[in-house]
Formats: sequence, structure tokens, C-alpha cells
Amino acid sequence: MGKKRWEACRTASSCEAMMKQSFYSLQQALQCPLYSWRILILFLLSLALASCATWQPPGSAGDDSILRQRAVTASVGGVRVNAAVLSTADSQRILGANVNKTGVQPVWIEVDNSTQKPLWLLRSGTDPDYFSPLEVAWSFHSLLPSGANARIDDHFNALGFHNPIRPGAKQTGIIFTNPHHQTRLLNIDLVGHGVVIPFTLFPSVPDDATDETGVNIAKLFADTPAVDYRLSGKFRAALEKMPCCATDADGAETGDPFNMVLVGEFADIGAALVRRSFRKVREDADDSQHVFGRPPDVVVRKEAQGGAPADWMRMWIAPLSYQGQPVFLVQAGRAAKGRFALPNDDDPALHPNVDEVRNYLIQDLLYSGGLAKLGFVSGVGRTASGEPRSTLGGANYYTDGIRAVLFFETRPLALSDVKILDWEPLLKRSETRAIMESKTRKLH
Amino acid sequence: MPSIHSPLRMPRNMLASAIIAFTLAGCVSVGTQTRTGSHDYKSRVAVHKDGGLQISASALSSDESLAVYGVPLANKRIQPVWIEVENHDDATYWLMFPGLDPNFFPASEAADAFTSEPRSSELEQRFQKLAFRNPTPPGTTSGGFVLTNLDEGVKMIQADLVAHNQHKSFSFVTHVPGFRADYSSRRSFIRQGYAENEIRDYTHDSAFRAALESLPCCVTNKKGSRNGDPLNLVVVGGLNDAFPALIRRGWRPTEKTWSGSVTRIMKSALSGERYPYAPVSPLYLYGRGQDLALQKSRDNIHQRNHLRLWRSPMRYRGKPVWVGQISRDIGSRLTIHSPYLTTHKIDPDVDEARAALIEDLAYSQNLARIELAKGVGHADKVKPRRNLTTDPYYTDGYRAVLIFDAHPRSLAEIKFLSWERSDGKLVEQPPPVKQ
Repeated sequence: MGKKRWEACRTASSCEAMMKQSFYSLQQALQCPLYSWRILILFLLSLALASCATWQPPGSAGDDSILRQRAVTASVGGVRVNAAVLSTADSQRILGANVNKTGVQPVWIEVDNSTQKPLWLLRSGTDPDYFSPLEVAWSFHSLLPSGANARIDDHFNALGFHNPIRPGAKQTGIIFTNPHHQTRLLNIDLVGHGVVIPFTLFPSVPDDATDETGVNIAKLFADTPAVDYRLSGKFRAALEKMPCCATDADGAETGDPFNMVLVGEFADIGAALVRRSFRKVREDADDSQHVFGRPPDVVVRKEAQGGAPADWMRMWIAPLSYQGQPVFLVQAGRAAKGRFALPNDDDPALHPNVDEVRNYLIQDLLYSGGLAKLGFVSGVGRTASGEPRSTLGGANYYTDGIRAVLFFETRPLALSDVKILDWEPLLKRSETRAIMESKTRKLH
Repeated sequence: MPSIHSPLRMPRNMLASAIIAFTLAGCVSVGTQTRTGSHDYKSRVAVHKDGGLQISASALSSDESLAVYGVPLANKRIQPVWIEVENHDDATYWLMFPGLDPNFFPASEAADAFTSEPRSSELEQRFQKLAFRNPTPPGTTSGGFVLTNLDEGVKMIQADLVAHNQHKSFSFVTHVPGFRADYSSRRSFIRQGYAENEIRDYTHDSAFRAALESLPCCVTNKKGSRNGDPLNLVVVGGLNDAFPALIRRGWRPTEKTWSGSVTRIMKSALSGERYPYAPVSPLYLYGRGQDLALQKSRDNIHQRNHLRLWRSPMRYRGKPVWVGQISRDIGSRLTIHSPYLTTHKIDPDVDEARAALIEDLAYSQNLARIELAKGVGHADKVKPRRNLTTDPYYTDGYRAVLIFDAHPRSLAEIKFLSWERSDGKLVEQPPPVKQ
């Protein structure tokens, strides 16, 4: 089938016809005194706003062979999942419009359910702020009513992912998400009665330079000569000996502190992060921080509403493992000014209170359903009162010197499942402070 | 977060809003605010106990927060909530700030809002000193403020306290003085509103399901003469289970439309900024407007999901039953059916909004069971029904029944569609053998 162009205003004459029709409607409507002033304003607005939005019906919407070729795949417990991120060209070819340009990243997902249970794909787990198909379609509507709008809706809706996935059936569709860069951290939570089957996949983002995060993480873990610690006490001691801070590329200047450690399979950590709205976004400043001879392996950001600067976590796979599981050394930080930065303020300087960001990110991840255990170790080095430590770019920070250690698991967890390890020193130190403050309050 | 709006559409929306704002200029007025003393919030403190834990909470008005912090926090849409934890238990507890508000403000970030370079250490120290500090060891009391997004009129406060292998949840609905408040939301929690002989507690699923299926299909206008949005939602639970779940997932009370909020809705539309507290207009069930309107704002005013709930005379195994409506706003559009000339364009696939809410609340830790009941009536895509602002919608005719429980549970513990299974509609069977 040849390409046929559908436009709200295909020609000048059809625009003129619509205007004439509107004008006729206006004459009729103005007979009604109740609505006449509202209709007059609407008519003037319609004239001012009329324009010719275009949408091109795709000729090969059903052809997903290109997506299948580059799809990443995984199988767990009788379920196979394929996924690929749509490029601009894919969007144009399949959806009929460049939705990527509007800040939407379409993700094609196929679920093959060989279990005995119907399953549901929880789109909030893939992106808590995902867009519905008709929401994306609406941004391509023309203002003046036409049959083209209904055709756009039908097309987008047909391509969306629809639940449930019945036993023995295969379901394919697109989820319209917020963008990730380079490699998508794609979490897919499939739930059924009494069962959760989570997947974390790493499809590349076609229009970005590729970095193959998932492959790199697996390869780095395999290639890194890691000492595996079986005992909690020895692992804790090893974590305390890890470097306090990053450096610049030459190792000459000290960078931001490593105030967090994440322990677990990267898929489980990634799932927890995505469920809490973290997205994989890397900025130039991230690459100035080095440890183990390289910049961060993965950077995620929890962007505030309206695109305001975000909390970040820069992650490096460390040369040690715990009971066979990877260990990530992490910088948790936030830009100074946070959500109150001015729009033209592009200085990503580290906020000096790095402990506050660390503590709140722990709390956030407690709600992810993936955090199983929490402990604290020393290793960052406490800054003396009134003597902040400097980092790259001239920013200063102060800290209690503690790094938080978070252990992730695949099995879904409730808040009451989280274990708090009896590791020093933050607990005792903060408990002592709290007891002192409580006593002081009672005295007053 | 990037906007979904095309570069073409955004200026047009802004132009539309600008013209409307200009048209309405002079017609709107902002509600008067009453002045309150700096420590009045302590007189409004609500107290809950669970075992050895006692939690006190109170939300500050804009005058109170100015008096306490010395800067106009409300101008930045920040609202301090006072929390005191008295721990007579044998475990050390941490208060979870994201439970109160997933988008809460760390003290240092809020202090930055009032600081120009160089950073004021005095201001930040003041904010840090006022902040609630974790943890609360056994035998101690901790008190301080958590900085949340501003809610006017009614504030829902959710305090999650976590200890080693333990979680305790405390929920409060408080009013905030000094605003033109909509108190009906609060009343709906604290007052039954039905005579004892009007209330029916259902203990059997079949009878409960039948009662839900016999509810009206839709909300109506004030006169009850025209049908509006479909009643596609039933929430079973109350202050201890359903509403903590909603707050944790970022659902917040909204206000009824009044002229002051129209000014702000216009400002938000013009600037494209997120206006998390946009109003919704009243719809009617049981002869009254909604008892509670909640919304979850996403990027800006054009992108919100909102739901309305009415407290019903039903109970399910002793739990309150709320009946309501959920829809997804996908933009603003012009209309002659609203005195303000604009309304929210809803996603015509209302079942998608229903599914989105279920999926969102699956991550809330308190959703215990998901069921579907008929009663809305099927509306076909090619012959859609229309709501009161003439937005078309279509649906499979089901209403989601979400049953909550105070005991925290993971995704794997949620029970699914037992009613559908009993009907034989949802068959769990071995998949066919693949060749």
C-alpha cells in the first residue's frame, strides 16, 4: 500500500471549508443568549489557533521485524520477554509520527506466557509516569475536529500494550515512557495471583551513542579480579577499606565521596531504582569522577517534576563480591539549589550536605520492594566541624563519614521485611545523639 | 521531566490560556486568609498510639510556617508538618519522609530556595535544627518538621515508621487554617454521614458484589438530570489502609473550583509549570458532590490523573466502602460547558486510567485484593458515551474494586480477581503444548 497522507487541513480549500462551517455554527449559536459570549470567544480563539497539524499513517505499522532483530530477551519461570526501544525512524514507520521528539520514549515489549496463570504487566513498574497511548495520540490531534483524530487514536491504541497475558498466550505492544539515554534500564514486573516475575533488561537506545550497560556490567564483573567475602564481618571490614572518594582522571585531585554501597545483582538493583522513578541519565560532570581507573559504570538520576535538577547515583562495580553477588561503590549526591535552581543555572555543583541525600535515598529505596537489608560502615572519613572538604570543581561538602550499605533481592519485599544490620557506627552514634536530645527536651 | 506536548501545540495552548486569562482578568479574586499565631499548630496536634509508639502530627498554615521558619515557605509551595515520635517500644524506629510525601523537600533544599550565593549557613542551620531527625531509640522522643508540598484546607499525613523487621503506619487527616478551605473532605473521614439503619455491612462476597453492581452507572450533574463520568472505582478501606496507600503513591487532596484557583490554573497553563493543587469541579452521587477529590500530578497541569470518591452507606467486613470515578487528564481544551471556558480533556479510554490506578497502587504496600464488578455498562468505542463536559469515553463496563489492608504486603501477596475466577472468566490452566 502506498503512503497516504492524512492531514487535518489537507488543502487550503478544506481549511476554508472548515472555517466557513465554524462561522455558520457561530451564527446559529449566537442566537442563544446564554452561551453567546462564550461561543464568540471560542470562535475567535479557534480562528487564532487554527493550524494544520499533520500525522502520517504508517504503511508498515504491523512490521516489527526490525525491532525483533535488535530486541533483548530473557526467560524466567516459564515466561519469555523481548524488548526494544523505538528509534525516531521506528516511531515514524510504526506510529506515523516522531513521538520521540515530544519527550516520549516508546518501548516495544513482547511477553510469551507459558505459565498456568494469567499475568499482568505493571506499567507503573516500568515507568511510574508512563503516558497512555491516547495521551500521546492527543498531542498529534488537530484542533479542529476531523475524522483524522479518531484514526490517530485508533492507531496508537491498537499498538499499546494490553493486559492480561493469558496462559499459553503471547502479547505484544508498546509502552510510552519517559526517556532513558544510551541504554535503557528496563524493568518489567509481571504479576499474577500469588506470583511476581520481575525482569530487568538493557535494550539500547538506538538514536544515542550506545554503551551497552548490561553487557558492560556483566563483563566488568566477570573481568574484575574480585575477592568474594562469605562472612558479614570481613565484608564490612573490606568495605571500610574502600577509597573514601573519587579522583579526577589523573588521580591528582580528590572528587566526591563514596557514601553508598549497593550489593546485589544489577538486575535487582535496577528494578528497585526504576520502580522509584530513577532514570539512566549521564551528564558531562559525571565523567570527571574516577575510581578503579575509569569513570562511573552507570549513572541514574531521580529527576524532579518539571525537569528540575535531580538526585544522582554514580555507580562503579567494585573489585569484591559478597556471597557471589556484585558490589557497587556509589556516590549519592544532589546539585546545589535542587528544585529551586534557576532555569539558566547550569552549574551542577555538589550540594554540601551529602549525608542528607544519602539518608533520603535510603528511605526512598525502602519503598522499592527490592531492599532487603541495610547497614552502615565507616570509610568516607568524617569532616571536622567548620572544615568542609573540597571536591572537583571547587565545591565543598561535609559529612559524618558513613557509607550506607544496601542489599537487594529479587523476591518482592514489604516495608516490614527490611532487616537493619547491627553494624556500627551510625546507629550507635545517632542513637546516642537522639537520647541526648530527648533528655534535653525533657529538661526544658 | 520533558513535556509531551509538541512544539506546535504548546504555544497554541499557552496562547489560548493567555487570551482566557486576559478575558477573565478583573473577574477573579483571591480568598482572604486569616492570620494565625506561630504556635497554634501545636493546639491542633492529632495523636495516635500503636503499642509503645505514640505519634503526634499537625500541618502548618502559611502564617505559622512564616513565624516558625522566618521565611515565607508557602510562597514556594512548601508546607511543614510537625511530627513527634514517642517511643516506649523496644526497637529503634526511623520515620520515612517519602511516606509523608514522595516529593518532600529535604531541609537543605528548602533552605536553598531562600538563599542567594554565597549560601547562608545560618539559614540552613535553622532549617536543619527544625527538621525531624532520625532515629528514635527506645525510651526517647523525637520531634521536628518534615517539609512537604503545600496542601490547602485539608492535609493527609501518613507516618511510616520502620524498625528492624517491623513497620508501623499512622494516618491523620487534619485541616489547615488560613485558607479558603474545603472541609467536606475532612468531615467525610470523621463523620459517618449515614444513620445506623442506613448502613449495611456485607460479609459475603456474592451479596457485596451484587450491591456494587447495582450502583448507578455514572455520576450526575447537580440536578441529577444528566449522567457524567462512569463510576468505575470502589475503594474498600479507610484511614488506616486505603489512604496511606494513596498518599505513598503521591495522591493528594484537591479543592473544589473557586475563583482563586482559576487564577492559579491560568498561571500554571501559561508557564507550563506543574500546579499540583489544581481544582476539580464537583460531580454528584448520593445527591451530593464528591466527599474527596484526589489527584496525582505528573509533568504540568495538562497531565494529571484525578479521582473522586463518595463515602457509601456500605461496609465490607467492617471496612468503609468508597465509590468513585477515576480518569486521566491528557490536556486542556476549550468548552462552552464550563464558566471558565476550559476543561480537562480526559483520556476516552477510561479503562486505561482504571488500570493505571490499580497498577500504581500495587506498589503501595497496602493493596490486598483486586476485583472487578459490573455496573458501569459497556460503552463502545464507535458509539462512545459523553461526560458532563461532552468528553467522549468508552469502557468495558467494569468497576475496579480495590480492597486494602493495614498489614504491609509485597507485590506477590496481592490477591487477584477471585470473582472473575469463580465465574470461570479467568481460567488458570496449563498452556497448550507448543510444537
